[in-house]
Amino acid sequence: MRDVAIIGVGAHASGRFLDKPMKALAYPAIWGALDDAGVKATDINVAYVGNSLGGLLTGQEGVRGQVVLQHSGITGIPIINVENACASAMTALRGAWLEVASGAADIALAVGVEKMNVGDSARTIGALSGVSELDLSELGMQFTTSYAIHPKINLKSRMAEYGWTAADFAKPAVKNSYNGSLNPLAQHRRPLTIEEVVQSRVIVDPLTLLMCSSISDGAAAAVVCSADIAKKFSSKTHITIAACVLQSGVYRLPGDERPDSATTSAYAAYEKAGIGPEDLEAVELHDAMAPSELMLYERLGLCGPGEGPRLIDERITTLDGRVPVNPSGGLCSRGHPVGATGLLQICELVWQMRGEAGKRQIEKRPKVTMAQNQGGLLLGQDSAVYGCTILKS
Amino acid sequence: MKILNPDNLRVPTEPGKTPCLLGNRCRDCGIVVFPKMPVCPSCHTNGAMVEVEIGRTGKLYSHTISHFAPAGFTAPAFQIFVDLPEGPRIFSLVGAGLPVERGVLEDGMEMQLVVEPLADTPEHRDELTYKFVPANGART
Ligand SMILES: [Zn+2]
Repeated sequence: MRDVAIIGVGAHASGRFLDKPMKALAYPAIWGALDDAGVKATDINVAYVGNSLGGLLTGQEGVRGQVVLQHSGITGIPIINVENACASAMTALRGAWLEVASGAADIALAVGVEKMNVGDSARTIGALSGVSELDLSELGMQFTTSYAIHPKINLKSRMAEYGWTAADFAKPAVKNSYNGSLNPLAQHRRPLTIEEVVQSRVIVDPLTLLMCSSISDGAAAAVVCSADIAKKFSSKTHITIAACVLQSGVYRLPGDERPDSATTSAYAAYEKAGIGPEDLEAVELHDAMAPSELMLYERLGLCGPGEGPRLIDERITTLDGRVPVNPSGGLCSRGHPVGATGLLQICELVWQMRGEAGKRQIEKRPKVTMAQNQGGLLLGQDSAVYGCTILKS
Repeated sequence: MKILNPDNLRVPTEPGKTPCLLGNRCRDCGIVVFPKMPVCPSCHTNGAMVEVEIGRTGKLYSHTISHFAPAGFTAPAFQIFVDLPEGPRIFSLVGAGLPVERGVLEDGMEMQLVVEPLADTPEHRDELTYKFVPANGART
């Protein structure tokens, strides 16, 4: 396998863009990445396009990747459409990485795009329920419910087990809202307080509105190439993909003692990259509901059981901390256009590693970073997809 | 009225027989799954799954109140996970007739299966499915 470098990234802002179809959202992200990399449309050998809900919500059921890329002038190459729920974009990146790592391609493009605002939020929520296995969603189960009481997450049980309070649940939302307030591409740019997060409307007890990521349109893209030719195109900080791991969930019965799938995918990535959690200098993780960030700290090995709130109290994961988490604002502030999220995470890490993150730049430019992305829900108590990418410069 | 998913739920018409869920037990390793699947997810054996009647009762594992309903459902509503004595931990809705308030359900309480319309809405009024209710009435 060859070493693979990321030489260009680009993103569309996340938010509500009712008048923009998918291809209009994707175009600035794609050309942002091409221009950033210094490559032409005709330099791209192969492209992977991640999207989750576009079929149901826009009616473009097939060939979404080809539609989006033709609009951006990229045609006549292999184009692979990727649907992997909220991890679609990370899956697209893995495809592009594998094409180059294997030697099948020299330069590959990964795109993630999502159009969620269609003027009818009930329809959007309905479509989103479709990334849970139908046996669950046909009973009216929603994602928010799964975060509140699903056995693998069960935030309510954390309150009982570790004494976590509603204020603890609000801490990641408050931390990330500050980061998001410094990000011109973020959907929500107002810094929040613990009080207003706790006191906002209850969506699914114990989750309140301001603890939940919201409906969002957006897009992101990355150009990857063989590490040995990266310098030909880009003189920017040389960033390589040290690991790009993808796992499906596993069927679990009560009492299953195997490690959680977020843990096993993260540790598989650590092993491939030859590092441990203590080496990370910045992390973008999948905080679809803000308190799940506390749980993911444990699963990625950043702290022990129940210690999540302490990492924020002691300013370890804040922007000025030892390992800033979600410097972009994360899913709740930056936004969660589901099929774009994994690449939005990658964009942020690349900007941070290059020192291009503007007002939210981490003071000591991180050299080892992780993006953790997951999605979907299966019978048997696991998410459907777990993705984990480690970058090094 | 029709049963939403007859493969999952048995509603006997004979007197004295009570409704139950239909799962699969693996002849090789013994685990029980719900809903059914042809390959054992634990030992991965193909063709060893046999149908078993399960889930007449259960224990409440976790519960919440959802204040937002997807199309075709109503809010607020309880959403729960139930541990079945045969092994599976399943998602379920809660039967009608309970006030949807904090303190009405308590994790660990004994539950029993009931058969009711999926939701009291035009979309789902005629679809029967399984739900669970406290076996000894609500806590308060
Ligand atoms: Zn078996």
